Amino acid sequence: MTGANAPYGSLSWRGASLAAKEINAAGGVLGHKIELVRGDSQCTPVEGVLGLQRMISSDHIQFVLGDICSSATLAYEPIVENAKVLLINAASSDPTITYKAGVGGYKWTFRNYPTDEQRAGIVLKYASEQRHLHKIAILSVDNDYGRGAIALSKKFFQRYGITVVSEDYFQASTTEFLPELNKIKSSGAQAILMYGYAASSRLVARQMLESGLAGKIALIGNGDFTNPQTIKAAPSVLNGAIEAAAWSPDYDSARSKSFVHDYEAAYGGEVPQVHAFTHWETINLLAAAIRKAGSVDPAAVKQALAGISFDGATGVVKFDNHDQADLPMILYQVENGKPVIKGVFRTAVVYPKP
Amino acid sequence: MLQNLFTDGLVIGSVYALVSVGMTVILGVLGQINFAHGEYYMAGAFAAWWAIDRLGLSYMASIPLTILIVGILSLAIGYAVMQRLVDVSFDAGIIATLGVSLLLQNTATLIFGGTYQIFDGGWLEPMRVFGEDIAQQRVLIFLVTLVVFGALEWLVRKSTFGKQMRAVSQNVECCHVLGVDVRRVVLITFILGTTLAALSGVMTAPITINIYGAMGEAITLKSFAVIVMGGMGSIGGTLVAGWVLGIMESLVAAYVGLQFRDAVAFALLVMVLMWRPSGFFSTKARY
Repeated sequence: MTGANAPYGSLSWRGASLAAKEINAAGGVLGHKIELVRGDSQCTPVEGVLGLQRMISSDHIQFVLGDICSSATLAYEPIVENAKVLLINAASSDPTITYKAGVGGYKWTFRNYPTDEQRAGIVLKYASEQRHLHKIAILSVDNDYGRGAIALSKKFFQRYGITVVSEDYFQASTTEFLPELNKIKSSGAQAILMYGYAASSRLVARQMLESGLAGKIALIGNGDFTNPQTIKAAPSVLNGAIEAAAWSPDYDSARSKSFVHDYEAAYGGEVPQVHAFTHWETINLLAAAIRKAGSVDPAAVKQALAGISFDGATGVVKFDNHDQADLPMILYQVENGKPVIKGVFRTAVVYPKP
Repeated sequence: MLQNLFTDGLVIGSVYALVSVGMTVILGVLGQINFAHGEYYMAGAFAAWWAIDRLGLSYMASIPLTILIVGILSLAIGYAVMQRLVDVSFDAGIIATLGVSLLLQNTATLIFGGTYQIFDGGWLEPMRVFGEDIAQQRVLIFLVTLVVFGALEWLVRKSTFGKQMRAVSQNVECCHVLGVDVRRVVLITFILGTTLAALSGVMTAPITINIYGAMGEAITLKSFAVIVMGGMGSIGGTLVAGWVLGIMESLVAAYVGLQFRDAVAFALLVMVLMWRPSGFFSTKARY
């Protein structure tokens, strides 16, 4: 992939290549070697569809992993459907991709990556069940990301017994939050549900410190809360902050540790990031499905994948009737100024009625 | 709650007033809007960040050093650009100061990088004032603003230099005839105005925390709105206009919606231009 998101493309490629190399070195799958080809989507549906069609017609691919960007993945779904090529996504988080898959329509699209909806649910599940935070104030960035994440969170409020005391959206450029924080302070909220960027998180954290909210109201959601730079802005406020991640190199499981070790050995000590991991894991998942099917025929592999139970690095991977992997996420909580892994959590997705 | 909103608004308004008053004195004397004004605010924040993060100075020590650094910077820009703007057309002034703005923003990005730097300093622990929690830094900003405005009023009304400033703002030609060194008055006024913006930058940096090259842009635009509301060139008017804007922003953020906060300045500006085009304190009104 080229363009602004280019690094994610090459990291994914590294993860996938490592998996293919390992599998081929061990004799391949059912006697076949895995051969990877790549196309450049530039993170756009237009370029992505052109690349995918070229790969289908001239490279005769049977399976495709992609895209990183949700908008491109959405455009691939009808194409793989017509071409009868199996698409396994390993990096797009837009929930609608699998709303439209499985019983939702497209039969050839699977996703082995947690969605924004699962992320929103898992954060609220942990906040409610483990931390007993039930009264929350919403304070999110005023764009697709912030408003989208809150819309998804709302699907879980009833399930986890959460009441909302206030709801506000801010411009990414806003530097003054005190009036809002004062309002939240007098509302009796136990937590602020925030989806935003690191710069705003630092401002909110610092102004929470100013208004005497440190240790009284927790920050939950997503906004680089576990980033050392954010924590440094106001450690006493960030203590107790909650954030979820699809994977992280310091996650403690035998499979995860051995991947980190092999990846570092293969790429000169480079620490793998989440996309490298998910593409490595998904190639292995595909190989397992091919073995289970006993055939490389995409239709047979699709059947096998739908019923698979795969021992992944963060837990067992199974697909629901929308062909969405029911994946756990790693939950981070800031404790004594450091992000601490509190384990992996899952939540069930409620699909919209067609 | 309401009391809180007023105190928050007063403090933020004080910041606006402190930056804007520099713009308004430069406008008064030179007859030009300094569209690079926010960049001196940015330079102040960066200079203090540099002193604390790179030189290891305390926040207290970084304040005078910041004033010195920005003073030298504006001396250079004053010589190279601002002195040439006496008695030239208004559009030449806009182009020149916008050019300086781009130059300063990009120089900062070139030196310190395009990412956010994080300001580590100031006194953020809350203290109780009239039964409300407020950061010591904010109390300090409010007090410094009162002192600065008191000093400025005295300077302009009572001192010899203030008389020269007022003379230059009224009639440049007569000043030449009477032997007032116009270029010197312009230069000193410019340095005074920009170092006040820098002072505001270093005072608010502990609160705004993210330091980056383009951080002054929004400040320039808001300052422009404040000086128009305050009546272009009026010192007391600027203070009141800053406070009104700060309080209005707080009220709108709390009761209407946080996302409308940055629209308040321009909505107020439009209203003032419609009904009181010469500022709040003007006797001229448009009905």
